[in-house]
Amino acid sequence: MSGMQSDTNVVVVEDDPASADVLQRRLQANGMSVSVGRTGGDGLALIRELHPDLVLLDVGLPDTDGYDVCLQVKSDSATSDIPVIFLSARGDVFDKVRGLSCGASDYLTKPFHPAELLARVDAVLSQSRRVRGPRLAKPADSVRAGKPTAIVALGDASRKERAELILAPRFEIITAGAEGRAVDLLVVDADANVASQMGNEGPAVLRVAVAGAPASADTVALNDELARIADLAVRERELGRDVDAAADALIALAMAFESHDRSTAGHSERVANRAVAIAKGLGLDSATCQTIRVGALLRDIGNTKLPLGLVRSRSELTAAERKQIEQHPALGQELLAPFRPLSRLLPIVRSHHEHLDGSGYPDGLKAPQIPLEVRIVAVADRFEALRAARADRPAMSADAAVQILQQSVQKGELDAAVVAALATGVRAHDRGEATGS
Amino acid sequence: MKSSDMTDRFTQPESVPRHEERFIASEELARLVMRTAGSHLQLARDDRPYQWSTTAYCDTYDWAVFRAAEAGQALRLRFREYHRTRPDEAFTSARLWLEFKEDTVDMSRKERFEIAGDVVPAFLRGETDLTDGASGLGQKAAELVHAGARPVVVTQYNRLAYAASEDQIRVTADHNLIYLAVPWTMNTDDAVPIRIGPILSRETDVVIEMKWFGELPAWAEELHGYLRQRAPADRPSKFVVAMRHLLGEAKKS
Repeated sequence: MSGMQSDTNVVVVEDDPASADVLQRRLQANGMSVSVGRTGGDGLALIRELHPDLVLLDVGLPDTDGYDVCLQVKSDSATSDIPVIFLSARGDVFDKVRGLSCGASDYLTKPFHPAELLARVDAVLSQSRRVRGPRLAKPADSVRAGKPTAIVALGDASRKERAELILAPRFEIITAGAEGRAVDLLVVDADANVASQMGNEGPAVLRVAVAGAPASADTVALNDELARIADLAVRERELGRDVDAAADALIALAMAFESHDRSTAGHSERVANRAVAIAKGLGLDSATCQTIRVGALLRDIGNTKLPLGLVRSRSELTAAERKQIEQHPALGQELLAPFRPLSRLLPIVRSHHEHLDGSGYPDGLKAPQIPLEVRIVAVADRFEALRAARADRPAMSADAAVQILQQSVQKGELDAAVVAALATGVRAHDRGEATGS
Repeated sequence: MKSSDMTDRFTQPESVPRHEERFIASEELARLVMRTAGSHLQLARDDRPYQWSTTAYCDTYDWAVFRAAEAGQALRLRFREYHRTRPDEAFTSARLWLEFKEDTVDMSRKERFEIAGDVVPAFLRGETDLTDGASGLGQKAAELVHAGARPVVVTQYNRLAYAASEDQIRVTADHNLIYLAVPWTMNTDDAVPIRIGPILSRETDVVIEMKWFGELPAWAEELHGYLRQRAPADRPSKFVVAMRHLLGEAKKS
């Protein structure tokens, strides 16, 4: 069993205790950790909690069927990468095709020989295990002195040696896992699976084209140019961090302004967190999530240019005052416009009070002019405002707030898919609270 | 895009009323029904067993299509594609089906075009002429596009379908039915393919649909009666159910 290791975790979803026991013993005897769920619901909870390497799934379950469990696993971006093998007494082609079409990696008909089970488990695990980049030590607390550091993680020893030789004049070459060392550059093979990182965190990553292949948009060639390109990549990363630092300073300013008003303290942070949760629910990438987060935190920075008394006023606004308040998105844009690296945030700052039907402000934009990132922040802002207590009304429950937003969707103001993503997140949170997970 | 870019145009008879009924059935009952249908009808060509059907439905910003469908008559504008495994994006196929389906109280008409997947944004921008069909559905669809119709919900399911020649009778069973939202924002060329989700709801049972023109043969009459006794009928269409979930009106379902 070459592919099996002692750190392999398997979740078995099987309602028959005897079958589950046999499976558990057989897998444990081969060095695997096994957790058993007796129902589809138990199984799903285990899968979400443990994120196992493999799921063995019975088709007939007391509360649902295995197909539904498999679909839920494969529909959730957090678990969709976990391979599933069906174990079933149903041996019709009809059932097998159905199981495989739900996203399972294999379908084994009961009764099966233990050796066949283990061989299939091994095959599926081997297929699903991807090459992982080296584990990076946490960035060092100490400030880097001297040359930037690089890890060269190329599979072929002679290519690795050549890359290190080329980089050595400009980089300090260190080994993966070097204790307490910050890594500025990671050089990997073109097909290496390196986890994507949020924003400008982590090292710059360079992918080296396979031997003989030309460089492409995503890869660099292994030649003398590598050192220059690596240098540029690290500088670009540092510049990105400077931009992040500038954004952080502006956010701190905006938060300081907000913290003077007890009724809205922490609101922007909640809006940003909610907006990122919605964006993730819609499957947006980490860079877009970061833009949404910073945009949400800075969306009301224009308030700093309005009279303090007006911003903090708790009494009913006159028409003139309302008009003045409605200037804050445009004022925010004016304030941020000189920071060119933050230009990607400007649509969020300027348009987060626009409505798809054109009834919003300041520009009365209509749906095709309002990007998804802006729609997400608008929904998160409205939701968190409804969840907060105001002088004229108490805080609303999450369900009630979602219903209000759905009414806005019906009126054509808010984006339906964005509100649906919010509602899905709220429901999942409620389910988690109900089950104590 | 012109209508001449499209191939395989197919319009169902409009002079003969088409009956259509939906039932929610258990897995066991669905197997029985499909075994019976399979012994009298041919396996349908388009819906091979257990392919995934992904259908994106369009509506306007004031939900005119949904409101009309709730009232029992609407022109539905939808895109359908088929895959062996469930995709998490829509409009990924090189060729897909654009369908105009009009339901009234006593009649149903459908016009279907095979189109290239990457021309969907151009179609939604109104850069097409589908008004030359005899049915007049193209003209109505063009009006919907002009009113801002864009994909709003998606259904995905495994369909097993049996049909008589020229679809005189058609019996379908949809398993693993999932309703999803789709965050469509702009009709730019790079709008496709688009990631679909979040999931709005799942159907745990099987949706059986019987559609027929004219009189049912005896075996089908018997099957229809059997289904009516054992499965809840008068089920709203998948589009209506999906839209109710999307707009928070699912309690009506």
